[in-house]
Amino acid sequence: MDLQTPPQPVPDADSAGFWAATAAGELRLCRCADCRRWHQPPLERCPACGGATGFELVSGCGRIKSFIVVRHPAVPGYLEDLPYVVAIVDLDEQEGLRLPGRLLDADPARVDVGRAVRAEIVDLPGGDFRVVAFRLAGPAP
Amino acid sequence: MKRRAVLVGIGRTAYSRESGRSTLAMAAEACRAALDDAGLSAAAVDGIANFQVMDSVMGASVAHAVGIDELAWNLDLVGGGNFATSVVANTAMAIEAGACEAALVFRSLNGRSGRRFGRADGAVRVSGENQFAAPHGYLTPPQWMAMWAREHQSKYGSSCEDLGRIAVTQREHAKANGNALARRALDLEGYLAGRWINEPLRVYDCAFECDGAVALLLTTHERARDLRQLPVRLLGHAESTGHGGSWVSWPTFTSMYSAHAAPRLWARTGLGPDDVDVACMYDCFTYTVMVTLEEFGFCERGGVGRFFAEGRATYGGDVVVNPHGGLLSEGYIHGLNHHYEAALQLRGQAGSRQVRDAMIALVTAGAGPYGGAIIYSREA
Ligand SMILES: [Zn+2]
Repeated sequence: MDLQTPPQPVPDADSAGFWAATAAGELRLCRCADCRRWHQPPLERCPACGGATGFELVSGCGRIKSFIVVRHPAVPGYLEDLPYVVAIVDLDEQEGLRLPGRLLDADPARVDVGRAVRAEIVDLPGGDFRVVAFRLAGPAP
Repeated sequence: MKRRAVLVGIGRTAYSRESGRSTLAMAAEACRAALDDAGLSAAAVDGIANFQVMDSVMGASVAHAVGIDELAWNLDLVGGGNFATSVVANTAMAIEAGACEAALVFRSLNGRSGRRFGRADGAVRVSGENQFAAPHGYLTPPQWMAMWAREHQSKYGSSCEDLGRIAVTQREHAKANGNALARRALDLEGYLAGRWINEPLRVYDCAFECDGAVALLLTTHERARDLRQLPVRLLGHAESTGHGGSWVSWPTFTSMYSAHAAPRLWARTGLGPDDVDVACMYDCFTYTVMVTLEEFGFCERGGVGRFFAEGRATYGGDVVVNPHGGLLSEGYIHGLNHHYEAALQLRGQAGSRQVRDAMIALVTAGAGPYGGAIIYSREA
């Protein structure tokens, strides 16, 4: 049993654009070409208007909606990082546009709901994927 | 007169850490026990339903194992504890619609010795929405629930002690239940000394994963007259599923499916929280109990800690929450054991943990974006 390798994503036709972007060092999310709404997770058509979607750059800036401190190794990978912080981040682009991600080099005691963060694209151990992680940006609100 | 479905039999296996048995064998034992409890022969059963996450056996196999070789109605649901009330409600609807006359409902799992919900072992490849979160090590329900509980603590000032009082009260209840797997004394100090799983949740905030099976038997009210037990009535059911079932996109982590299902349930039954004697609240985690008690209207936002501290959730209080100890202390039969307890209480057969004059029981199921609830009543 491999406990060192974190879970690897399985891209599909709807998410391929996201993973192609991270591989190129960019954070692109699904956006409706017609009504301009953002959608995460990505969809082939916009649920609001049925329009075609594509992947567009986002700033990667947002705030911590919530976070946990992982102390019990229930999922493979990052064992040497325990305890580590995983956050769900509300991105600035649109209310409710969210991404989950590890908070890099964060002291759990300094993390709080509402703190500003910035996305950073990092290599995912165990394969060729690159993923979107976050880093604290600026002081507590 | 309208055909009405009632709960007439309950059965279960022993709950354990390692059954050493197949999910088929356990499901068959629980179904036979439910038939014996009701005094109904297998030949009279023509329907079967179950829910599972592909960790169990199909209904047709279990029917065959107990001697039922033709089914007029068969429902195999793939999903989690959010189906623990809707599987029963759908069975009642099938009976009331005339699709079948008598039906078994079961959940059978080796939830501790086999596949465990709290773990994702080995190199895993993850598709669907989780492909975005899993590479960060974020993949298991205990993590999702901790993420949600943190927002409640931040928004309403609820505390780990508040969650702890839920665990402590349910453990106290479990002490009077010989079938409960976790009966060792637990006080608040012991709760707080429990190891962290994912902050802000500790080990005692999590369901006690176990092996076992529960079965329920439903039939028409008319047929129930000839059976052994006092029938338990289903007064109403409601459920809700939202935001694609996403634990990331759901708007507010301080609210669950219950924000929608609870008003629906009270409107359909004409009842309210004050009418409930026994509340079997789905408790995969303490935090689920916290939010659903708020949203089913038992106490105000952020007031659950006080509700438990003041003894309002136990004998002599407003309502007895999980008198069997719940999934936290009796064991995680994925919520079907809540129905077993509700029936025992309403039939007046709960022994030393009997809730006096129990007339109305609420059973809830699920957490986060999806779940449901049933109101049962004692036959008047
Ligand atoms: Zn659109």
